[in-house]
Amino acid sequence: MGILKPLADAIYSNLIREDRYMLLVRGLVSTLEITLFALLVGLIIGLFTATVRIFKIKGVEKAAALYVNVIRGTPAVVQLIIIYYAILGSVNLDKLLVASIAFGINSGAYVSELIRAGVGAVDKGQMEAARSLGLSSAQSMRYVVLPQAVKNILPALVNEAIMLLKETAIAGYIALDDLTRAGNIIRSRTYDAYTPFLLVAVVYLYSTTVLSILAEKLERRLGRSD
Amino acid sequence: MIKVTGLYKSFGPLEVLRGIDVHVKKSEVVCVIGASGSGKSTLLRCINLLEKPTKGNIFIEGADITSESTDINKLRQKVGMVFQQFNLFPHMTVIENLMLAPSKLLKEPEERIKKRAEELLEKVGIPEKANEYPSRLSGGQKQRVAIARALAMNPDIMLFDEPTSALDPEMVSEVLSVMRQLAGEGMTMIIVTHEMGFAKEAADRVLFMEEGIIEEEGPPSLLFAEPKRQRTRDFLNKVLS
Repeated sequence: MGILKPLADAIYSNLIREDRYMLLVRGLVSTLEITLFALLVGLIIGLFTATVRIFKIKGVEKAAALYVNVIRGTPAVVQLIIIYYAILGSVNLDKLLVASIAFGINSGAYVSELIRAGVGAVDKGQMEAARSLGLSSAQSMRYVVLPQAVKNILPALVNEAIMLLKETAIAGYIALDDLTRAGNIIRSRTYDAYTPFLLVAVVYLYSTTVLSILAEKLERRLGRSD
Repeated sequence: MIKVTGLYKSFGPLEVLRGIDVHVKKSEVVCVIGASGSGKSTLLRCINLLEKPTKGNIFIEGADITSESTDINKLRQKVGMVFQQFNLFPHMTVIENLMLAPSKLLKEPEERIKKRAEELLEKVGIPEKANEYPSRLSGGQKQRVAIARALAMNPDIMLFDEPTSALDPEMVSEVLSVMRQLAGEGMTMIIVTHEMGFAKEAADRVLFMEEGIIEEEGPPSLLFAEPKRQRTRDFLNKVLS
């Protein structure tokens, strides 16, 4: 009984009192929303950037390389703050949208490199064989190289989603009530750091585990025709 | 049919081809032999512009393919290529491998393309593998599919880049016999090979390359029996002993 009493008290004050569990629920919803939208934005930017770099499209190729270098060479939290205050802070936009765009711009650089690596991993002979039959470079890409590259890219994309989900924990820097910030709010009211953050950690772990299992299943299914 | 004049190719500071002149007539079978690094494969790859020549001209049926105005994709439809590593498309079945290029490039009904693909598989002796994926085939079968895939575009010329070098010894003959059959049908062929026996018996002419130039050429009966150049003799001594 001696141990159970403090545990019950901790759960009561951190979760039940003033419906504090709802903070965590709403925080998780925000975290998932940002992750999902950012992934979509990142996918679009990444596809575009990778295309520019793979086909070495003049004029924009250097800009694409610069974008990837800047994003990968600076902390996401700094990018988020700059985008929030300097760029989007002047217009009155929903924080969730701002965060989604900022994380999307960040993720796009990594997605671009994933796609480039996935395409690069397809044997050079595949392109040559397709070209030798008279297919144009776009046709060879579309019918021969990309279908094989997708097998390399998809599992890596799920990993990117996992990274992104964890990365969104910095959204509190722009006062967005995501899962991590919900834990922080509870802590500031209950003066208990362990219980809310252990709970937050468990929720993150659960979410990323679901994605990991998805990635494994995907990898197994895609590997089947080899 | 194919005329190569003054062909040079460098990769950076490395000069791989140093002035090649070749003339291949229609229905002629030309085998190119020589040590590794002598430029044989590069010559072949220049003929369908997988490598861009540094200098010189290549004419196919009178048209200069090195000129800027050449439609490379049109040209390649007429020049089939078979690679050492087969390069079959692993995500497609055998019949899909054969049908991809014709169905994207030729304005023919799908059934006709399929029928032709089936006939070609018959021709190379593996009609029963039509719906298998390449990973389920042996090396010899893969290379025969690759030959059929190149033939599916109805090329006038076939280029073979060491087609049997990646095969287990017991599978070499099945590929060579398909090539022999093609030669018999009057296909114009340029074959880079290490199979001296095949060159002796199937080639109309043999080119011996050394350090980026054609050191000696002639009908196999002459070139193998009484080579004129010392380097040719040295090479033949090494590979035939």
